[in-house]
Amino acid sequence: MSSTSQKHKDFVAEPMGEKPVMALAGIGEVLGKRLEDKGFDKAYVVLGQFLVLKKDEELFRDWLKDTCGANVKQQGDCYGCLKEWCDAFL
Amino acid sequence: MASTQLTDEELFLELKRFGFTPGPVTENTRPVYLKKLKKLREEQQQRGLRPGKTRTIGAINSTTGGGSTVASRPVSHDVTHLNTSRRPGRKSSLLGFSSDESDAETPLKRKGLGHSGRANRSSSSQQQPKIRPASTPSVAIKSRYDHSATPSSNFSLGQNGERRVSLGWGVGDRSRSDAGLRRYDDSGDEDNYEEDMEKKSRSLNGRGASRLNASKLAGDYSDSDEEEVSGLGVGDPECDRLEPRRNHPSVALSSDVTDRGSATDGQNTEATPRRFLNMGGSQGEDEEEDDLKRRDFSRLGDSRSHTLPRKPIYGSLTENHKGYTGKNSPATGEDGASRSNSTELRPRFSTYSGLSQTYRRNHSNHTPAPNHSCGHAALKRNVSAPEDELLQQFKREELASSGSFSAHYLSMFLLTAACLFFVLLGLMYLRMRGSGALEVDNVINSPPPEFDTPNKDVIQKLLLSLHDHLAFVAGQHDCGDPNHPNRSVSIDEASVYLLAQNKSFKGLINESLDWIIQKGQDVGIRLMGAVPDEPVTKVSEIARLESTHPKMSFTCRFRRAFFTIINRVLLIAVVAGCVWSVVCYVKYRWRRDETETRQMYDMVERIIDVMKTHGEACQENQDLQPYLPIPHVRDSLVQPQDRSKMKKIWERAVSFLSANESRIRTETQRIGGADFLVWRWIQPSLNCDKGSSKVWQGKAFPLDRRNSPPNSLTPCLKIRNMFDPVMEVGENWDLAIREAILEKCSDNDGIVHIAVDKTSREGCVYVKCLSAEYSGKAFKALHGSWFDGKLVTVKYLRLDRYHQRFPQAQGCSTPLKASGLATSVTNTTAHLQHHSSASSPGFS
Repeated sequence: MSSTSQKHKDFVAEPMGEKPVMALAGIGEVLGKRLEDKGFDKAYVVLGQFLVLKKDEELFRDWLKDTCGANVKQQGDCYGCLKEWCDAFL
Repeated sequence: MASTQLTDEELFLELKRFGFTPGPVTENTRPVYLKKLKKLREEQQQRGLRPGKTRTIGAINSTTGGGSTVASRPVSHDVTHLNTSRRPGRKSSLLGFSSDESDAETPLKRKGLGHSGRANRSSSSQQQPKIRPASTPSVAIKSRYDHSATPSSNFSLGQNGERRVSLGWGVGDRSRSDAGLRRYDDSGDEDNYEEDMEKKSRSLNGRGASRLNASKLAGDYSDSDEEEVSGLGVGDPECDRLEPRRNHPSVALSSDVTDRGSATDGQNTEATPRRFLNMGGSQGEDEEEDDLKRRDFSRLGDSRSHTLPRKPIYGSLTENHKGYTGKNSPATGEDGASRSNSTELRPRFSTYSGLSQTYRRNHSNHTPAPNHSCGHAALKRNVSAPEDELLQQFKREELASSGSFSAHYLSMFLLTAACLFFVLLGLMYLRMRGSGALEVDNVINSPPPEFDTPNKDVIQKLLLSLHDHLAFVAGQHDCGDPNHPNRSVSIDEASVYLLAQNKSFKGLINESLDWIIQKGQDVGIRLMGAVPDEPVTKVSEIARLESTHPKMSFTCRFRRAFFTIINRVLLIAVVAGCVWSVVCYVKYRWRRDETETRQMYDMVERIIDVMKTHGEACQENQDLQPYLPIPHVRDSLVQPQDRSKMKKIWERAVSFLSANESRIRTETQRIGGADFLVWRWIQPSLNCDKGSSKVWQGKAFPLDRRNSPPNSLTPCLKIRNMFDPVMEVGENWDLAIREAILEKCSDNDGIVHIAVDKTSREGCVYVKCLSAEYSGKAFKALHGSWFDGKLVTVKYLRLDRYHQRFPQAQGCSTPLKASGLATSVTNTTAHLQHHSSASSPGFS
């Protein structure tokens, strides 16, 4: 596989609209469920959090880890996914 | 913890003090920012311990310079990644700031001269880790600049500067500055100093050049005396350079900034190198002054930089200046005072703070130069005060000791007192033990009355002396005295000794011994026969005498007791240590196992994810093989450097999958001529999935006037054909229906009541909305959609009929929201749908 996963590519290819949070790269079922339980039920809510943290990688990673227990790889995937999405659409 | 005491705003300001522009502090971001703040503080402390302040200052200068001004961009390369990340924000703030943009060019040029000189110095100190804090202040300052953008540029400058100072300390007003100033007093670490320096250099550059200079100088000052001197020297040329600009209050400011110490001076046209010295002196001591100082300087610098670029605005400035002359004069007075202050106290950041205060005040009036110097000090003081408070708050919580010295000492004192008490008690006990002879004496003092009186005393004396002698011998023996190899004394020796004591003892020895035997009590003398351990009944059998209450010297006793105690304590400690180590080991193993299991599950999840993706991709694209070789999956999921580490976890995951996962089948395939163990994703057909779960499947026809009423008539809807009661299985399918409706109308927050008629053959669901408008929206969303393979139709109901049917709906007024729980299933399928739909464009 290339360095970005299929999920990442899919997410970044189009505006996220109402995609669920599990559409984010790095967020699978378990993490997605945890995020949903905390209220981040859609990908755009996580995007909102990402923007509130000023797109800072470290902060977003920390937040992700605290909120849903993502490991380093998942954090990186999610961050990269959102960042690229923002670069493309924001 | 401090965190609990901090409100969001305080946290925000605290972070800003470090020069870090945080985003909004919400309940979601709070923990992240708290962690960040802690980390910043730790780093600050670490940096405070670092040597080579000059370097740091230089670095700060460069960083600040780079960060702060556009012109000084080239220097920004030494900015830490934090800066970098914030650079864009800063840039914008800067740009917004140099409202006096046009002016920014010219002053920049000028400052460039001094700045380049500084830059060299800064570059040397670039490696300083303090760059980060340095940049942060500048960032903070910059943000403040933006924040304080006001109509009149001049005014804004002043305000900005002021604000910057205050902001730098997280205080927008004077009170804050107090705290900030106090803070200066508290933290004497170089870090702060450098930050200040940075700030100053920042201001100096274009805008911040002055700050750079200031901070640099400040840094120099703080480092050491000789550095102060050198700093001063540096400042001086700066001063000179700034001389031409001096006439401008801003110039004064810049010169001030340059010197940092001479910030005061800078402001005043008459700023002289001496001023610099003063300030520098105070700066130098500002080791403890931390960010506040820096900020102050930066503030100064900022103001200065503002003023500097303001050349063209000079006219307006002067106007303002004049306008504020009234205010200025007191400020001037303060200035003078502060100046003198600074002159006197070299390290006095109080002076500084006084200056900053004055500066602040002046700034509020937007009186440039004269006020600056005073304001700086005053401001600084003000700023440091609130900052100090906050810092104290943090430190107290972090260290848990800095706050209440007296309490700490008191507890220590109590502890030592208790220990001493117990030690004394032990010693006394030892002494008591040693004086067990008292009992014996008592016993001996009551010899049986059968002895005749004249002999009684003699016998008593005899016994006492015998007892003492034996005790002495025993004691000596026990203490390891080589003179007495035997603990006991033979009867002959005893007789000899007694006779030596007193001739009259001669005949009474046997009698006394007899008495001892008869006594039966322990008189401190043990009589032993030829065979030890055998009780002696007759005097003639007595072979040796031994004392049962050895009299040892105090030191000997103490020593023995001490050793005993030590041995016992050691024994207990060893036992406890063993137990504790066992417990730790068990915990460690348990934790490790848990981690591994979690990792294993994580890996399994990822594998499933990959397989699912692949399966869907295969569905889309028939050219792909429906299976994936296991090693390939592993290599795509696990980084090369982790492969050996994750090997065990991978193996466990593989075995778990083969045992517990029904959707992935392990088989052997021949790929490219080699046999591989592959995984095949056995994709349950999406149709079944879709059929089994309740999802919306698109619209059958567009809604137009022909097939829907032109406007919504009532707030109540009857939805038909949502389900088939005969076919439904499970317990909560009606909840699923509810959730599905709510999801479909997720943008419509006016649905207050939903009732699923489980018994209706038509599959009816009744919905009530807040108003006709909402029901109209729901109508448009639902009517004509496919759901679960059925075409859904909607019609309006009369409100009174609805209430007749569902009286509980009359009271409902809170909009319902999809809870997401029941839709988890639908979400999964929806996710799959999304995924497949998303993957199509990906593949195409």
